[in-house]
Amino acid sequence: MPKSSQKITKSALPAISVSGITVSFGNHNVLDNITLKIPSGSFTAIIGPNGSGKSTFIKAIIGLLKPKKGSIRILGQHLHDVRHTIGYVPQTFDFDRSFPITIAEFLDLAMHKHVQESQLHESLKDVGLASNILDQQLGSLSGGQLQRVLIAQALIKRPSILILDEPAAGIDMSGEQQLMELLGNLSEEHGTTVVLVSHDISSVAKNVDQVICLNQKLICAGSPAKTLTKKQLGKLFGEHKELYHHHH
Amino acid sequence: MSPFIEMLQFPFMQRAFIAGALLGLILSTLGVIATLRKMSFFGEGIAHASLAGIAIAILAGFAPLPIALIWGVLIATGIYLLERYTKLPSDSLIGIFFTGSMALGVVLMQFTSGYQPELLSFLFGSILTVTASDIWIIGALSVAILGWFFASRRALTYIALAPESAQVAGIPVHRQLFIFYIALAIATVLGVKLLGIVLISALLILPSATSTLLSHSFKSHLILAVIISEFTILLGLTLSYYFDLPSGAIIVLVGTVIFFLSLITKKFARV
Repeated sequence: MPKSSQKITKSALPAISVSGITVSFGNHNVLDNITLKIPSGSFTAIIGPNGSGKSTFIKAIIGLLKPKKGSIRILGQHLHDVRHTIGYVPQTFDFDRSFPITIAEFLDLAMHKHVQESQLHESLKDVGLASNILDQQLGSLSGGQLQRVLIAQALIKRPSILILDEPAAGIDMSGEQQLMELLGNLSEEHGTTVVLVSHDISSVAKNVDQVICLNQKLICAGSPAKTLTKKQLGKLFGEHKELYHHHH
Repeated sequence: MSPFIEMLQFPFMQRAFIAGALLGLILSTLGVIATLRKMSFFGEGIAHASLAGIAIAILAGFAPLPIALIWGVLIATGIYLLERYTKLPSDSLIGIFFTGSMALGVVLMQFTSGYQPELLSFLFGSILTVTASDIWIIGALSVAILGWFFASRRALTYIALAPESAQVAGIPVHRQLFIFYIALAIATVLGVKLLGIVLISALLILPSATSTLLSHSFKSHLILAVIISEFTILLGLTLSYYFDLPSGAIIVLVGTVIFFLSLITKKFARV
């Protein structure tokens, strides 16, 4: 990722292009015929009710699940050829906190060979963490710090696309806003395409520039102003829900 | 001549020490990943399941170790494939293979005639039964397992900590896990002669658990687990020789004492 503070020119080629994908578990279609494009350099949130297929969608994009139908192109190519351009932060990271591994050792695992210490420092700086924590044990970190270390690990290989599955889960409100600002900064200043799954509509409205509304089918996609309307959210979550109304 | 040197004059003790040192290396290194992946029960299952392999070998008049190894690899493959392609939980699958294969072993044993000293040594471990050909088998397989482990240790650690991230990073997760299951099965069955079916899984768990208490980094964890494992086995074998007690039980008791001493030391160091 370039260290320039200038805005990166966004490529015309979509970062992710999904064409008619259907993902099934048994006979049940979790995602049904989804077609959409995620622009390069955008900060995109995927929203929808529980069980709407949000995590399934990103798992299909990164190759953890195989669609029954349809195709996915990453930067115009097959995932297999551009795997190195994707960083991924999973929804759950359950590990034995007593397991002895330092943050430096954990960050280093993301690469096939040992990473230079300067690269580790740079990744920590990208997520707003001091480099003196490298020798600390991973299990000693708070939830918010751990989430940042997971993002730093995903950033080690300098991906052009960063995908996060509910990164704010388990973080308090101020920590969540800091995290969203950090991700916005990655997209804004470094040109990284950031795609995240979120439950928090108000945080999404405040921070992202693209929204994808999923509930088995694609309900809507576009800017927050266009998608986070009472009508669209009613279609997505059901009419009787108390909805956030996005004002502009 | 010191008693220790005198003990090493016996070829059976030389073989037991060589086998013990090799087993200490492979069981402790694989044990670090097995405990991180919460797979301790896998070692227990494979060890018990190997009884059927031993019974088949005794009935057919073959050397038990090679047949038990093939049987252990088959059981590990079965557990891996069912874990991957069904939704059944891992511990249930291990339990099914463990009890089913052990039951088969017990039934087959009914068809052997007379007293089977070899069977007893497989159950509880014996320093007397390690043969020269066993040493060659243990040596060759230990070199292969260690070579693979050190080439793959970063990938294995990543898979154990964050399997989805490892897959996205391009690590062949399923292939590495399958090889790990096979390596773990082989190491467990190789250890059965010294430690016995009943106790072998302790050597996967104890060095790693003790080392976790005393280590700060993964590198030191791995090194310390090997040192603890070697010390435990070699002291256990020596005590087994001097007091004429089953090697498996003494080795596990030594490992257990070291674990509790480490726990107490850590507790007091904190105060």
